[in-house]
Amino acid sequence: MALLDVSGLTTHFHTRNGVVRAVDGVSFTVDRGETLGIVGESGSGKSVTCYSLLRLIPEPPGRIEGGTAMFDGQDLLQMTPAQLRSVRGKRISMIFQDPMTSLNPYLRISTQLVEALQSHGDIDDRTALNKAIAALEEVGIPEASRRVRSYPHEFSGGMRQRVMIAMALITDPDLLIADEPTTALDVTVQAQILEIIRQRQEKLGTAVILVTHDLGVVAGTCDKVNVMYAGRIMESGTTEQVFYEARHPYTRALQKTIPSLQKKGQKLFTIPGLPPDLARPISGCAFYPRCPYPKLTGPDADTPLLRDLGNGHCHADCHSCDSSAPIESVLPQELETDDLVPAGSDAV
Amino acid sequence: MSAPLGNPATDFLVLRDVRTHFDMGRTFWSRTSKGVVKAVDGVSLVIRKGEVLGLVGESGCGKSTLSRTIMQLIRPTSGEIWLEGEELSAISDKDIRHTRMNFQMIFQDPYASLNPRMTVMDTLAEAIRTRHPDLRGDEMRGRIAELLRTVGLNPAQMKRYPHEFSGGQRQRIAIARALAPEPRLIIADEPVSALDVSIQSQILNLLKRLVREMGLTMIFISHDLSVVGYVADRIAVMYLGHIVELGSAEAIVERPLHSYTKALMSAIPLPDPRAERQRSRIILHGDLPSPLNPPQGCVFAPRSPVTHDEWMKTHAPPFEEILPDHWAANCPFCVAKPA
Repeated sequence: MALLDVSGLTTHFHTRNGVVRAVDGVSFTVDRGETLGIVGESGSGKSVTCYSLLRLIPEPPGRIEGGTAMFDGQDLLQMTPAQLRSVRGKRISMIFQDPMTSLNPYLRISTQLVEALQSHGDIDDRTALNKAIAALEEVGIPEASRRVRSYPHEFSGGMRQRVMIAMALITDPDLLIADEPTTALDVTVQAQILEIIRQRQEKLGTAVILVTHDLGVVAGTCDKVNVMYAGRIMESGTTEQVFYEARHPYTRALQKTIPSLQKKGQKLFTIPGLPPDLARPISGCAFYPRCPYPKLTGPDADTPLLRDLGNGHCHADCHSCDSSAPIESVLPQELETDDLVPAGSDAV
Repeated sequence: MSAPLGNPATDFLVLRDVRTHFDMGRTFWSRTSKGVVKAVDGVSLVIRKGEVLGLVGESGCGKSTLSRTIMQLIRPTSGEIWLEGEELSAISDKDIRHTRMNFQMIFQDPYASLNPRMTVMDTLAEAIRTRHPDLRGDEMRGRIAELLRTVGLNPAQMKRYPHEFSGGQRQRIAIARALAPEPRLIIADEPVSALDVSIQSQILNLLKRLVREMGLTMIFISHDLSVVGYVADRIAVMYLGHIVELGSAEAIVERPLHSYTKALMSAIPLPDPRAERQRSRIILHGDLPSPLNPPQGCVFAPRSPVTHDEWMKTHAPPFEEILPDHWAANCPFCVAKPA
């Protein structure tokens, strides 16, 4: 049985401008020791998915409308606040993007690490402090026994993120959710942090959900990938399947927009238009208006279902566009002329 | 020759031993300074007309300070900056505003760089008037419409406010504003870092097209070597206020000389799982040293995987042309001599 089995997760935000369908029927599983990457652009619902799992969505305006999230046999979405407290930070830990806003600036690192330990177990101060120092050493903080007395502002961005990792892993959780853990960091520090997460995962057998917008980070660290767009999963599968046998037009287009080190000199491929407004109902494939493939029909009436190709590789099965056509030939020069004006907004 | 000095009279943009230092001030009781941050510490550079020079480095390496120094938003502590035969660093504060129409800047965050209370039309009109103070009415509107079309926006939207546009569209407005005074040099400071990948490629294509069609010269600053490698003709790699390597984009990406550049390249995650698994990665230890107390000799010595000897820890390596048009801080422990 999978460690985490999410099925039909739906989270909406009820705002003055209407209902924003931030997460719209998302299903996936994570096994022990496995790393799942969730990729997507901003607003694709990848962070809201993670926050929903730990019930960190501000309610109101947010509301988890449906679905289940079975974690080791228990539904996270049905738990009482007391049950949730025993899971959060103990069995499921989370690392956030910005380490400065997630550490308490008024408390020493030692206080914060010891608190994490003592709130989940009966452990005396001295043992807890020693464990905290050991945890900092394991994430590569030099002079841990002295630095544990420091305040967060005395650390650099990379060091703070190490402290966050130490804090998240100090309770030996079964699942670590990392929401853009390296986005605020330099590439050299990013490489260090990803390496630490990988090492700790190997040692402890922790399952990891890594949320990122960087396909490169996914390629290097994840076993499986979910590609999200407009609150839905467009494609999922092993990292190799998604990178080398991408089926969905969005995945393919996304890969072609990356100015990777390999292709130089030629014009970058662009996805025309903008992501859809989630406050408006989307009929059919959410990517349809921007899809670079030739359109065969109008958009479907129903949301395309995820179809399993038989080996765990799933993609939203949309028949409105001809995704068998080569992508370059269907993109005429005119489409590339940066025509960004969304349809219907020309009136002054 | 120990640095690419260039000729200020004929070369497009020449930086000569530019230093920008920030004094941290004094403590209340003491008369000694708390220290000096050497954000830019002896940069010499020649930028050719019509080229895109990429400037890369980690945060805190001084690339943004260098760009603001060229813009004369921060005056250099010492050194000279020449643009088309005119010494910018010698122009008085009063006259620099007028001269600045020749060199404009695009900032990272399009949410912060546009005035939320001005319509796109007002923003652009203000910028156009720096060069054409008497332009009014239909002529002005025509010019604004032309600018908006150039950056791929609909001229019918010129009466809107910045909040009515998406991040990518705002960055287009910021680009239009930079183009409005008809500058010859554009400094783009992380212009795509705040944007999503699918929007990022649109803006990169736009910038490349503008440089080609309008004959602009651009300094493109980014921490992302893969973006710079795509946009730039030449790349300068900065570390702790110094340029450690300078060469054609191809040479820097494919045949880097300095071990810092190599480490930076190997840290970039490739969007290719098989290549990722096979490559060997140089993981640098620790963070960037504090620019308040930089290393005396080779700046890369404390983080380099190769241990430096005492001489290189105390003596700064010269910046030399190691291969034709490929310069590097020539530290024997950082630069492998090509065979």
